[in-house]
Amino acid sequence: MEIILKMNNITKKFGTVTVFENVSLELYKGEVLALVGENGAGKSTLMNILSGTYPDGAFEGRIFINGEEKFFKNPSDSQNAGIEMIHQEISLNLDLTVAENIFLGRLPQRVPGVVDWKKTYAQTQKYLEMVRLDVDPKEPVRNLSTSQQQLLSIAKSLVRYPKVLVLDEPTSALTEQDAANLFSIIKELCSRGISCIYISHHLEEVFEIANRVMVLRDGNVISCYNRADLKVNRIVEDMVGRKIDDMYPKEKVPLGHEVLRVENFTVKHPFMADKNIVENIGFSLRQGEILGIAGLVGAGRTEIANAIFGTLRTTDGEIYLNGEKMNITSPLQAIENGIGLVTEDRKKTGIIPPMNLKENMTISSLHAVSTAGIVSKVSEQTIAQRFFDKLHVKAEGLNTNIMNLSGGNQQKIVLAKWLMKDLKVLILDEPTRGVDVGAKVEIYNIMNELVKSKVAIIMISSDLPELLGMCDRFLVLFGGKVWAEIPRNQVSQEKIMRAATGLEEYFS
Amino acid sequence: MRRSEFCGENKKILSKFFNARETGILIPLILLCVLVGIMNPVFYSFDNINDVLRSTSYILIISIGMTFVLIAAGLDLSVGSFLALCGLICGICLKSGMSIPLAIFIGLLSGVAGGLLNALVVVKFSIPPLITTLGTMYMARGLVLVITKGTPIYPLPTAFSQFSLGSLCGVPYVVIVTAILALLANWVLKHTIYGRKVYAIGGNEETARYSGINVNRIKASVYVIVTVLAALSGILMAARLGSAQPSIGDGYEMQVITAVIIGGTSLNGGSGTILGTVFGALFMSILYNGMNLVGVSAYWQKFVMGLIIVFAVGLDQYKRRKTKA
Repeated sequence: MEIILKMNNITKKFGTVTVFENVSLELYKGEVLALVGENGAGKSTLMNILSGTYPDGAFEGRIFINGEEKFFKNPSDSQNAGIEMIHQEISLNLDLTVAENIFLGRLPQRVPGVVDWKKTYAQTQKYLEMVRLDVDPKEPVRNLSTSQQQLLSIAKSLVRYPKVLVLDEPTSALTEQDAANLFSIIKELCSRGISCIYISHHLEEVFEIANRVMVLRDGNVISCYNRADLKVNRIVEDMVGRKIDDMYPKEKVPLGHEVLRVENFTVKHPFMADKNIVENIGFSLRQGEILGIAGLVGAGRTEIANAIFGTLRTTDGEIYLNGEKMNITSPLQAIENGIGLVTEDRKKTGIIPPMNLKENMTISSLHAVSTAGIVSKVSEQTIAQRFFDKLHVKAEGLNTNIMNLSGGNQQKIVLAKWLMKDLKVLILDEPTRGVDVGAKVEIYNIMNELVKSKVAIIMISSDLPELLGMCDRFLVLFGGKVWAEIPRNQVSQEKIMRAATGLEEYFS
Repeated sequence: MRRSEFCGENKKILSKFFNARETGILIPLILLCVLVGIMNPVFYSFDNINDVLRSTSYILIISIGMTFVLIAAGLDLSVGSFLALCGLICGICLKSGMSIPLAIFIGLLSGVAGGLLNALVVVKFSIPPLITTLGTMYMARGLVLVITKGTPIYPLPTAFSQFSLGSLCGVPYVVIVTAILALLANWVLKHTIYGRKVYAIGGNEETARYSGINVNRIKASVYVIVTVLAALSGILMAARLGSAQPSIGDGYEMQVITAVIIGGTSLNGGSGTILGTVFGALFMSILYNGMNLVGVSAYWQKFVMGLIIVFAVGLDQYKRRKTKA
């Protein structure tokens, strides 16, 4: 078989951190190669290299297309070489028409500078037929459904006669029927000689569409299976094979009464009208318990956290705190009721860049350090210093700007903000992302101390060993629903991964 | 060893002083005063200094409010128009025979109403402040023209004019009022929970929201503050002129924003000080005053002002990039 694309010994580093080392990949003409792996396994980084987002020189290794070595300086170099990316989040211009979107930047011209609309609409029709999309070329894209938009994205990419089509989670916003339609279109494109790289968390889908499956873990190619040798168990094992070492200082704490109960939580999908990102999720949480929430990107983990905290609106569901029904519609109400949230995106929702450490720490506790609305510099300094010392923040002092700190130390400041409060429930969304190992262990120790003082914790993490190491009970989400609830003594990485990829459900 | 350490420490303090946002304008301000004084010694006369301070005050009162708005990452273009409208409302009340305190109160109250209108549109309908206040700027000015039909309202009671013309130990009342307001605003921003929240919202609105701050309420409040202060400035001006002028305050929004930005407040929000704004407003009026004293043509004055704005903001961006790198 003819090799279309070859990536040789790709190594990518961010600063001193190696994201992946010596990854090689071959893509044959007319095949579908599926890439699977946990969050952070390196799939996106690899595709960013292929698409020219990381230019030549920002990584080591060589890329060949049809045997010819290519050097991509920017995304358009990659497109010119015949590689088209179709991203998970649809990147169409909603206010332009179908035809304008397809030919954006390449509209046929009668004389230079004058668009040939007749030709544009006629050709649009041709591309729409290739993806079996039945819409008017003059229709504004905003009026199309999500699955129609997804198909339009593919039609748009076909204009350049691509050799390689990269699809990143193309079905995440599609219904089952639309997904089936998409698969038959992909198969048809393959029969015309286009090769596809298919990235997905949904293993059933992968088994249906892929000719070969490649498993990535921690920036390494773990295995590559031909269609004939595909076995679910082996792939799941390969995905989760990360070693669990004993860096997790988990301490068993006797559990108290139920603090939090969530029933039937439902949250609408952000960019798809008739779908929910969180659907009918319910669980309870006891004093001193750490509940782990696992799931792959788009499963609805962050959304459930935000729904509890009042930053995402629920369309259905109830929340009970100490048995009492609550109506939480803003973070202010959540905090007043003793709920805290360390968000996933520290830069966007965790820190205030122009402020110093002290001000960042006390921003949620200003009333505690003030009298009659006047901030007492002394009590503010005292309490901030106490947590600064307690959390071993590595910084010059409390007046240092927060942007001068490393990720781990910034995270400690964000934690300090919540430790100052008298919390009942603390939600940690990816608390150790971008945090060095030393600071990670310190964060685990803080969690231990919290549960000992009867706080209940919800921990969301993509780092499975960490989750397994620290939590008492596990909820696994897939497609916005709970697919498994597993106690600590029955858990394994494989079990979690099978539920997280939609293979099996577990309830005990 | 000790000596170099000492020098290093000194250097550190010096560089800290020069890099502080408000001192960025202090050095040019001093240089400007020296330069103008040399070119025309009249600059240092008691009357001229009083004159400069008085004319600075009308702008500075609004600039104090605008500092709150810009720190909270907002913008208000309608201050000039509300200055005219609220001054006019106060003037009409006085002409209809109302007592002076009541007329002033109603004038300020109309400022509160104007500020609430801006706040409502910005916060509830999420229309960008630039558009919102551009709209209300024309609306308020339009109302002024409708009410006055283009002719000033006068005369206003002489007792009312005393507010702007009178002085205490040679210092005009207006200057005293402005100084008190500046001190108060400085204290609010530096020492109160409210002030801290204003900085937090400008620094990162999302984090502020996630930290339990009622972002909408704080955002709304800064628009009310700036419009009430614009109303106060309008009332004091009406008092000074003895009449309510339809075209008064035209273009003030730009002068006010310029003063605040020259004073080191960032347009991106999250940082800025009242002290800086005071320096910024002083710098602008001394520059105008100096150019008049030295005899620079009025045509060139605008050009120089524009040059200063570009230079000041450029310097600010340069510093920001340097601290980032």
